[in-house]
Amino acid sequence: MTRIASSARLVLAVSLLAAFAFVLLGPILNLALWSVAERWYTPHKLPVTYGTRYWEQVFRPTGDAMASLGTSVWIAVLTVVFALALSIPAGYALARLKLPMRALFMLMFLLPQAFPSVAIYINVARIFYQLGINGTVFAVVLVHTTHGLVFSVWIAAAAFAAVDKDLELAARNMGASPMRAFLTVTLPLAAPGILASGIFVFLESLDEFTGTFFVGVPQVTTLPLLLYNAAMGGNYQVASITALILLVPSVLFMLFIERFLRADVLAKVGA
Amino acid sequence: MNLSQRHLGLILIAPGLMLVAALFLYPLGFSLVSAFSKDGSFTLEWFSKAFELYSTDIVFTVVIVVASCALTALAAIIIAGTLTLGENRYIVGTLRALYRWPLFIPFIVAAQCMRTFLAKNGLMNNTFVSMGLIEPLQAVSFLDWRGIIATFVWKQTPFVALLLAGALASIDRATLEAGRNLGASRVRVLFELALPQVMPTLMVALVLSFVTMLSVLSVPMMVSGSQPTMLTVDMAFRINAYGDYATANALGVITYLISAGAAILYLKRGLSEGAAR
Amino acid sequence: MRILTIACSLAALMAASPLAAQTLNVASAGDQNMVDYVKDYLGPMFEKANPGVKVVSVGTGAGDSGSQKIYEKLDAQKGSATTDFDVVVIHQKATGQMVKEGLLDKYTANVATAKLATGEAARNALGTDVSGFVIPMFQSQTALAYNADMVKAPPSTFAELADWAKKNPKQFGYNGIKGGMSGVSFVAGWVYAFGGDAEKLMKGPYDAATKTTWDKAFADLKEFNKVATITPGNAGTLDMLNRGEIAMGPVWVDMFYSWQADGKLPPNMKLKLISPGMPGQPMYYAVPAKAGQKKLAEAFIALATSPQVQADGIVKKFNWYPGIDAANLEGKLDKAAWDKLFVDVTPADLAKNGKAFPIAPYFNDILEGYEKKVSN
Repeated sequence: MTRIASSARLVLAVSLLAAFAFVLLGPILNLALWSVAERWYTPHKLPVTYGTRYWEQVFRPTGDAMASLGTSVWIAVLTVVFALALSIPAGYALARLKLPMRALFMLMFLLPQAFPSVAIYINVARIFYQLGINGTVFAVVLVHTTHGLVFSVWIAAAAFAAVDKDLELAARNMGASPMRAFLTVTLPLAAPGILASGIFVFLESLDEFTGTFFVGVPQVTTLPLLLYNAAMGGNYQVASITALILLVPSVLFMLFIERFLRADVLAKVGA
Repeated sequence: MNLSQRHLGLILIAPGLMLVAALFLYPLGFSLVSAFSKDGSFTLEWFSKAFELYSTDIVFTVVIVVASCALTALAAIIIAGTLTLGENRYIVGTLRALYRWPLFIPFIVAAQCMRTFLAKNGLMNNTFVSMGLIEPLQAVSFLDWRGIIATFVWKQTPFVALLLAGALASIDRATLEAGRNLGASRVRVLFELALPQVMPTLMVALVLSFVTMLSVLSVPMMVSGSQPTMLTVDMAFRINAYGDYATANALGVITYLISAGAAILYLKRGLSEGAAR
Repeated sequence: MRILTIACSLAALMAASPLAAQTLNVASAGDQNMVDYVKDYLGPMFEKANPGVKVVSVGTGAGDSGSQKIYEKLDAQKGSATTDFDVVVIHQKATGQMVKEGLLDKYTANVATAKLATGEAARNALGTDVSGFVIPMFQSQTALAYNADMVKAPPSTFAELADWAKKNPKQFGYNGIKGGMSGVSFVAGWVYAFGGDAEKLMKGPYDAATKTTWDKAFADLKEFNKVATITPGNAGTLDMLNRGEIAMGPVWVDMFYSWQADGKLPPNMKLKLISPGMPGQPMYYAVPAKAGQKKLAEAFIALATSPQVQADGIVKKFNWYPGIDAANLEGKLDKAAWDKLFVDVTPADLAKNGKAFPIAPYFNDILEGYEKKVSN
């Protein structure tokens, strides 16, 4: 009896998993299909003709898809470095030191995610034109960093909070200076969590369109700029291919970072 | 020590705060001024216009985002719970390999995928028809509020699940085992023992998702027709069709107040926890 | 670490700055195909004729929002010595605004081909006098696309369409007014048809009281919406036609042809321009007032509006109606390519039913009236 029950449960679990996989991967499969569909219309349920015509179009010599991809990844990496550089001290302060108005500060980092950004970027562009830095990679990185900071600060704060205080104290008792204790004990222990926050910053930066347009274009063009036009105009093939290309650095970055992910660090996010 | 710690804290947090202040708060000031003034004097005219024209859309937006968050939370709890408490290695392994993929798809692409996937004659319904699950005549289009919610849940669940799974993995296994040994079902262990311990993480992940969904333009724009629609679309429309930044900014303030409502949940928790410390 | 970062981005900055002696930045508000038109066709041609020049083409998004972005960017740069863009390709609405605010250069006297474009569109953008500031790149037009397999006898007037939609519920789809210009154009056409004096809406003068006469038209449209499908955007309408979910809907003629060329529409789709007519609009070539490369920009536009390029690029390659007067294309184009443009919508149809959009204040009244009385 129990055997039947348990195998019934297994069947149920497997079919639930299959349904889940369909919901999850269906849209992505759809994307992949469109990227190789040369003709696809009613009443055909699948593409009428397949081909690589649009791949060739995206990778044509004048298409600069690869150059834009390079710029995108470069900006995303810089943004991660920048955001982490800012959020390591901030996260440490939020986690370890007595701060007045701690919740308010945490909330402030959330703001750039919360307020719709178009109106803000116009003003940011104005400021950057006055400073003469519009149209530089640096300007784009600054804007992306502001936007992604909430992830890195909140997660860095969590990572520092997760480090056992006793270890730090032990190092101090053995005569290490506060800085040395931080660099040799606290930072290495918190590093996995801090790096994990990099994923979200990286993804935010890689997707960003509006800010890049206002502070980067025409000197700096990223892949989402190409994607945005194609997607809004309903050019499914080109948009799908561009999206698939964007997937590559995201996944690679995730795999790279994953080696450093530690469960107990994720536990304290936002605490 | 305490005084200097306080100063040190402020010094450490200053660079990040300054960046946000310079590139966000300062430009935000302009938007606020334009939302509250006309020809240099204070007015609420733009707000009354925003309410007159978009009251339905405000309600619509709140309902969509709250519903999406609720469903996202549910889906993420199921996924993270299975990952933590699942006993079949293969199922857990498959799930772990699968669930993160939507995280990497930009919103605009997710919107485009869903537009062709959820349509009446889209890939989803076509698959169901081919499998004999539904009759062709029963196929309905989901390209309305349901489509928006589906896209949001699809895109945000991995994010919440990722954080939640991490949190669940780190809680004390012994309590969970004890619960199991006392004969509690896995569902009960998850909801009564595990979840309360990771509530803070779940809340924060949801607050972040809430704010993200509120600010996305491409999904409501591309997935559903425009009546009614979400506030981001209205804002873009005010600007693109009329060059009317004042009303757009007023709508921005309203959106911000909605997210502040969500953030207060977080704040309250942070404050009560701070008091308890 | 931070110093390293700054050093890195400075290095990147230097690497990113163009090596070519001169760069011509062209910004196009429009679909991908318009950006690619400059990138793949015009740009290389211009670079070949002007060694040492590099053409950079950027797109700012389809529809009026794309033009608005260009406007916002130029506006943000008011304080700078030169603007980022040297040539802009923009819609009528933004053009009027930019001319009024002095953001554009009065350049056409320096470009010989300007004389080839003598139509109303070269002088008047939704009621704003833009003569001297623009040369049309191409003309486009909205029309009803329909699936000839599903619709044997397409309606030929707005009144017939309303009946048809009632008999075939949910088979007509359009994208409201927030999802792109094809829906806006349909609504404008509706008001032309049922709202009274269409001529006055297109020519002016503006009278704020006129909008009160549209109440019935809007009430009818609200009824009509109940039997219509609201689609997600310009592309959304075509999308639903692609999957056979709707049988008819308003589309841009050029988008229609490029979707058909991309294999995204059934082969038996046809176009029809119903009376009393639907609006169309040109895209304009303009030069920002503070463009850094004005001479190059003028040379570029001269090339882009030359009869040969208009024939080969605009008509033959992209199925757009030419921006300069059609008579100038004679002899530059084989008859087949020219005729392809007018298979469904004949020149006579265009002359009779190809309308302009209403002048800007009426335009806003129509949109806001729709928001208040139809969609809210």
